[in-house]
Amino acid sequence: MTRRSLIHPATLLFISGSLLAQAPQPDPALKDVAKQGKDLWANQGDRDGAAVKFEQVLAALEPLALKTRDLDSEWHRVLCETYNWLAILEDRNPGKKAESVKHIEALVNFDPDFELDKNITSGKLQSLYESIRGAKLSRVSFTFQPDGGTLSVDEKAYPTSASRYLSFGAHRLIYTKPGYGPQEANLELAPKDSKNVDFRLDRNASTVTFYTYPGGAEVSLDGKPMGKTPIQSGHSQVTPEMKAVADKAGLKVEDLSAAFVLSDLKVGKHILELKSACFRTTRVELDESFTTPFKDHILEVIKQAPSRGTLTVRSEWPGGELFLSGQSYGALPVSEVSVCAGTYDLVVKYPSGGFSQNIEIPENKAVSLTTQPKPRLIFVGFDYTVDFPGKSQLIAQLMRLGGRLKEVAFIKPTEGETPMDAMTRIKNTKDAELMLSLIAIKDRPEYPVDLVVETLSGEAEHFALKPLDEDPLLDLISKLNTQPQLWEPSMGITVADLPGEVGPVVINPGDSVKSGIQVLKPITLVDGKPITTALALRKALLEAKGDNLSVTQSGLKANLPLAREPLELPFFAANLCYPFVIAELRLRTITAKGNESAFLRLNQAIALMHFRRYDKALELLREAKISDSGRSGSLLGLGQGTVDYYTGICLTKLGSVYIPEAIQAFGQAQTFPGSTFFSPDGPLVAPIAKQAADDLKN
Amino acid sequence: MTGLLPLSRRIILAMALVAMSVCNLFAQDLDISEKLYRSGERAYHTRSYAEAFETWNQLLQTAPKSNFTAQALITMAHYYIDVEKKPDSAIPLLERLKADHIKSPLAGEAMLLRGEILAQRAKKPADMKEAIAEFNRVVDLYADTPALAGAHYQLGLAYQGQSSWGRALQSFLEAYRLDPLSTIAAQALLQAAEVLDIKGDLQGCLRLLERIRERLPNSPEAKEAAWRIAVRVKWRMQKTPLKSEGLWPPGKAPKWVNTPTLLALGPDGDLYIYEDGLDRADILRNNAAVPVGMPLKGAKALMIAPNGLPWFLTKQSLVRLDGTLLELSGNAPTGGVLDRWGTVWVGDKKVAALTLIGADGQSKSLPSPTTNALTPLANGGVAQASDANRDVKFLDANGQPQVWIPYGKGLPGVFRYVLALGSDSIGHVAAIVDGGDFEGVVLWGPDGAVLRQATWHQLGISGKFVAIAIDRSGGLILADRSNDLLLRLN
Repeated sequence: MTRRSLIHPATLLFISGSLLAQAPQPDPALKDVAKQGKDLWANQGDRDGAAVKFEQVLAALEPLALKTRDLDSEWHRVLCETYNWLAILEDRNPGKKAESVKHIEALVNFDPDFELDKNITSGKLQSLYESIRGAKLSRVSFTFQPDGGTLSVDEKAYPTSASRYLSFGAHRLIYTKPGYGPQEANLELAPKDSKNVDFRLDRNASTVTFYTYPGGAEVSLDGKPMGKTPIQSGHSQVTPEMKAVADKAGLKVEDLSAAFVLSDLKVGKHILELKSACFRTTRVELDESFTTPFKDHILEVIKQAPSRGTLTVRSEWPGGELFLSGQSYGALPVSEVSVCAGTYDLVVKYPSGGFSQNIEIPENKAVSLTTQPKPRLIFVGFDYTVDFPGKSQLIAQLMRLGGRLKEVAFIKPTEGETPMDAMTRIKNTKDAELMLSLIAIKDRPEYPVDLVVETLSGEAEHFALKPLDEDPLLDLISKLNTQPQLWEPSMGITVADLPGEVGPVVINPGDSVKSGIQVLKPITLVDGKPITTALALRKALLEAKGDNLSVTQSGLKANLPLAREPLELPFFAANLCYPFVIAELRLRTITAKGNESAFLRLNQAIALMHFRRYDKALELLREAKISDSGRSGSLLGLGQGTVDYYTGICLTKLGSVYIPEAIQAFGQAQTFPGSTFFSPDGPLVAPIAKQAADDLKN
Repeated sequence: MTGLLPLSRRIILAMALVAMSVCNLFAQDLDISEKLYRSGERAYHTRSYAEAFETWNQLLQTAPKSNFTAQALITMAHYYIDVEKKPDSAIPLLERLKADHIKSPLAGEAMLLRGEILAQRAKKPADMKEAIAEFNRVVDLYADTPALAGAHYQLGLAYQGQSSWGRALQSFLEAYRLDPLSTIAAQALLQAAEVLDIKGDLQGCLRLLERIRERLPNSPEAKEAAWRIAVRVKWRMQKTPLKSEGLWPPGKAPKWVNTPTLLALGPDGDLYIYEDGLDRADILRNNAAVPVGMPLKGAKALMIAPNGLPWFLTKQSLVRLDGTLLELSGNAPTGGVLDRWGTVWVGDKKVAALTLIGADGQSKSLPSPTTNALTPLANGGVAQASDANRDVKFLDANGQPQVWIPYGKGLPGVFRYVLALGSDSIGHVAAIVDGGDFEGVVLWGPDGAVLRQATWHQLGISGKFVAIAIDRSGGLILADRSNDLLLRLN
């Protein structure tokens, strides 16, 4: 890194200027009004007209000065001059002499260091000014070595000046300058005192001043955050030094940040690091020559190289809109959109359900993602007036829940909204599929809190919590991250391990006899790899990709088609959260067609039976029509018989009035000889349905 | 006998129920009832049972309606069942829990336990009625509690005991359906597979057994399923002929046993041998005969109790393990079967009836031809061979014939005598047959179909074979009393 060896003294003023610039400033036209006032008096001798103009300026500036106490230096001067002018003009009007005195007093109060314009102010007024100032304040004169630092008087910073009027009493003065140790002086001022203070600072560090392109970069020195490089607020901040460094770097001066000063660089090497969104992180090594000897340095402009990647998001589901960290990127599909490299909260909002994921887009890389909607889980908040041990820890963990959930899109509570209001809103707007609430249980000391996951239609599961557990949300998270297994691949054969056989033996070949599979012969290879047990064959099957699986039996290879067989949901599986299961299945059913839709409805019905919502389950079962339901004895699996059996169960549970319909449903179930429970390797439905019908008849 | 839930599952169940029960605490009772409960709990965990009971009895007096009282009652009941082994003493506690805490989930567990005790007490299928009612109450009232799966499973066992196969299957599948990864799921599926086989659905049975092996591979039931699949496939699907493997166990020289006359299989598949020359029963362990039970002279039948200890029939008596002797009505017993109700079925070659001796010593007769051999069946009944009638009958648990096999049916020749019967727990029956045109061994399936047969000549063996057993690898073990050896056919 090359550097220049001078620091422009205007730098600090510039920094302070940039701070002042943040305060609300008056209308610039006021300066013209003040000028008009001066002209009316100087050119036309119109004292009253001039006074009106200055009154106008005063009326605008004085309240602002009182309110912010931070007018920028130019407006500060305008206000002081306005007091000065009004005092002069009104002093010449016999009816307004008292007003003149008031303006002199106001000026002393506002800025006692202001010197009246002796060319236009009468000796009498100057004496009055000195008299009022002398009655309240003492003059302190300063010498600064080196100059250009900041003087703080009673904790308030000022640019250096040769003298300053201070009120009577004790004052603490500190003079500081980057690269130097501060010096403090304590003064006790009495009326008519006039004191001199001599500040001489010792050099104890180097300073490094730099500008970045672009501004707003996060600065850290030796890993310690130092703030951000300031963004310029206007041309007024441009200094000759800035212009020089901008020219050398071939950049426009307005594209640079304002100066950033590292003021306390001690002896040794230092690492300066700059980070900006959309730009590559830049590291600058400051070697020992920067600090030996101590000196002020200016670096060349630190240019950060842009860092971007591309993102493509697709979805088979209609109506998705992409958001990256809250900013919309429009409707899906979004193809190869250029975005800043970095980490984002990627959200896709669908008409039903949502997708969220923390995603990293590396520099110069293309990231592609296919999304599908997940159930949205909104945390509706909590009655924060209720207390229990571990509450704050638990609430904090709940707020971070989204980062730990993979299968649901988590939505944080809306600030200021009560849980009841949130629940009512969600039920109306349907902006989420699941609601998460927190209920304190008063009389249950061991488990003082229940977390409740609930569908919009009221199917709820409670999680009793001990908030002081190391990870009280673990069970909830584990269940919300567990998808129900609804399908598995099948070759349509049954195998078993038999003693003395080299591989799993086919005990029921099903339709695979057409492919040459023989009963009671072992399978020895799957996809060319040796296989020795039924369990290993199952594993190979579950991991199989494609539509076929090659198996070898007695040296003969056969390609068996893989079917995607539906599975039945358990009724009370310890690893599932049933409200989530219902929400998930509802989403999947939206786009599912044919048998897939029917099987999803069957499992939705089973999940509702978990909650004993037999009427709702029945509705779904009646919608579930499986078209290839006439499975033969050799082709087994969930089918219309399974649906009809559960229809019978629901009707039975709805009361004796539905027994005839239940018997009919069980009878219907028996007409599907290939229908099974659980999966293709489950028991046949027909005999169980017969038993159920017989029991009802008896 | 209906099995009680394993202790580990009970503990898990109890912990879950404590958590659930605490939900409904009444604030006013909280302090004293919880303190008393915790104090008793501490004593209980250090096995200071008397102290625990004293404290909990105070709790029962002080806060009879507290949920901690419910928890104390269930723990006290478990003490009588698991520690004292006096389940009857638990009944009043369970009934109090039912009566005073009907809304507590613990009442579901109490009903389940009570039902299990009632089922254990049952001495005949009809005695299961009250237990079944209790299990049904759990299903109806406590569907959200961990007791539900247990209730379905116990219902399955109860219906199984009543030979109500359809309902048993339904109940076992309900128990499985709740949570296929639970401990009880594997047990239920294993039972369901057996029911399917009894109902004639061999493929269904094999599918379920394989399901256990593949989906619950680490369960004890997976091991059990493995041999049940292997033996079924071997006997019923593979057509390989019987062959003699020679002396059994391999490497044993003749005369390692002394006049073996009776064989039986224990509940874990161990082979029991009665050595007439030594007047004792042995269990075959690590290829060595280990004496088991008391020495006894002249045993005519050997039965193995669920605890693995032998019971005998002598010429005139039933000898139970506790040494009690019960006189038999005949004096030529040819076979005995100890069933799940604790009833001993006795066949006699001179008495035209089967005598059923109950656990209380009371006996009754079932009309029947004389019996030449008797062996238990998987359905809770017996297989009976009668040379007088020249048939083998498979009787159900009520003594009703389900399968009738005339001597020689399905064989190349007719035999005249059945010298011995043997069976396994999955429905196979083997016989040593003699006289007539066919002398050798026969193996029948649950439906009475001949699965294997071979004459001594075909097998290339000779001797005086008087007992037969089916091992868990699908082998037939023969006892040759004159040559003092065992042979295995495979």
